[in-house]
Amino acid sequence: MSENSTAPTPLLQLHDVSRLLAGRCVVAHLNLTLDRGSVLGLLGVNGAGKSTTLRMITGVLAPSAGRVLIDGAELREQPRIARRLGYLPETAPLYPELRVSEYLDFCARLRGLRGAKVTQAVSGVIERCGLGDVRARLLGNLSKGFQQRAGIAQALVHAPELIVLDEPASGLDPLQAVQIRALVRELGKEHAVILSTHLLPDVQACCDRVAILHQGTLRYDGPRDALGDDLEAMFLRIVSSDTEAAA
Amino acid sequence: MSLVIARNEWRRLFVQPLAWVLLAAVLVMLAYFFLLTLQGFLVLMPKIAGNPAAPGVTDLVALPLLRAIASVLLLVVPLLGMRVFAGDRQSGSLSLLLSAGLSDTRIVFGKYLGLVAFLALLIALALAMPLSLNIATALDLGRLAAAALGLMLFAAALAALAVCASAFAQQPAVAAGLALVLNILLWMLDAGARYEGVTSNFVNYLALPTHLEPFLHGIVAVVDVLYFVLLSVVALALAARRLAASRMRG
Repeated sequence: MSENSTAPTPLLQLHDVSRLLAGRCVVAHLNLTLDRGSVLGLLGVNGAGKSTTLRMITGVLAPSAGRVLIDGAELREQPRIARRLGYLPETAPLYPELRVSEYLDFCARLRGLRGAKVTQAVSGVIERCGLGDVRARLLGNLSKGFQQRAGIAQALVHAPELIVLDEPASGLDPLQAVQIRALVRELGKEHAVILSTHLLPDVQACCDRVAILHQGTLRYDGPRDALGDDLEAMFLRIVSSDTEAAA
Repeated sequence: MSLVIARNEWRRLFVQPLAWVLLAAVLVMLAYFFLLTLQGFLVLMPKIAGNPAAPGVTDLVALPLLRAIASVLLLVVPLLGMRVFAGDRQSGSLSLLLSAGLSDTRIVFGKYLGLVAFLALLIALALAMPLSLNIATALDLGRLAAAALGLMLFAAALAALAVCASAFAQQPAVAAGLALVLNILLWMLDAGARYEGVTSNFVNYLALPTHLEPFLHGIVAVVDVLYFVLLSVVALALAARRLAASRMRG
């Protein structure tokens, strides 16, 4: 797809994307764009459609309607474009029987790296995610915090342009959560990041843009700074208004 | 790219106890069976030594062992293959492969290759037993080679069925059960018809033993090779369809 205009194609575009699951509309007419160098927080309560949206972005789930474009190309037509994405699902996709370095080695090869590049990429990502001390340990024996780091390392190992993280800090203790947030902030300097969360501190610590998703529809999309301390109030207003209406 | 997945599957099989335990148990069982048939042959040998038309050691020791390997594979392959997709689905690690930008066919084929490589090792180790007799006697090596090829094709078809069952099932145990039922059905399909006195070429064609037996007798026929290849291709294609459907249906 060639663009004649001067504006570059956004890295990620969601055009009127909807998804039905078991007859229920989980995501409805979602429009979203993400440019390089920005960190977008997808905020919403449990069941708002965050994970479904991220699964559609990464090609794990096909949208029922609408289009997901990565750098202007549709994933369904050019599956290879998925190599430019890194994805950490809600449950880190680990093989508990493998060692950290073996696992990352496989992940690097799976995304098309070969030869010396694999070793280089694996040792780079191990250092970056603070996995040096546990590189020879089995994934199944690691603490939840380290498993989550290994999950993030897996999403980074091939230096993707877009990193998709589904609730990266959920289930972690406060200290681990702070460390993961610092890591995400660091990632935002070089990659485009989209992360889903139901925790306001996640958004406040890492994101420069916020999109609030509620009951499958986009209720707010804009820069975080513009909201300041109003973010919490607005989020609660959106979430509770429908709940009260339903009651 | 399928090779990357195959290598990883192979590695994962070997770092878990299941494959080692099954490999050890199967080899111990086959070794016991091998020694029994060898003992039987040694008792029988003086009686048939003078008869030039009598069956030899290949017929009386090697082939019964090969048939035993085939029967054992019917039970073991479903257990080895049950986790291939169902296990990954249960642990949530399947999304790693689904989001890697690979076609579903490549994912399925990679997983399948890893399993087939393990079965090749199992068959090679089991075949080492009758081959060891070649030190002391003359085996019909051509016939053994044909039988080994047949056994390998047979194992590859069972592996495809196990992969297919695993792609459809949500839990590994269900996948193992499903694959086992499929194996046994295909193994005994023609027996029922035969007991009823019905000789149906079609039913015979569908049954596994119809196509394995010629190999054990040293006959490599295109029709039999094609059967196993066709069975594998259909099972793997169904598995790939199931993966594609999981992206669509969720």
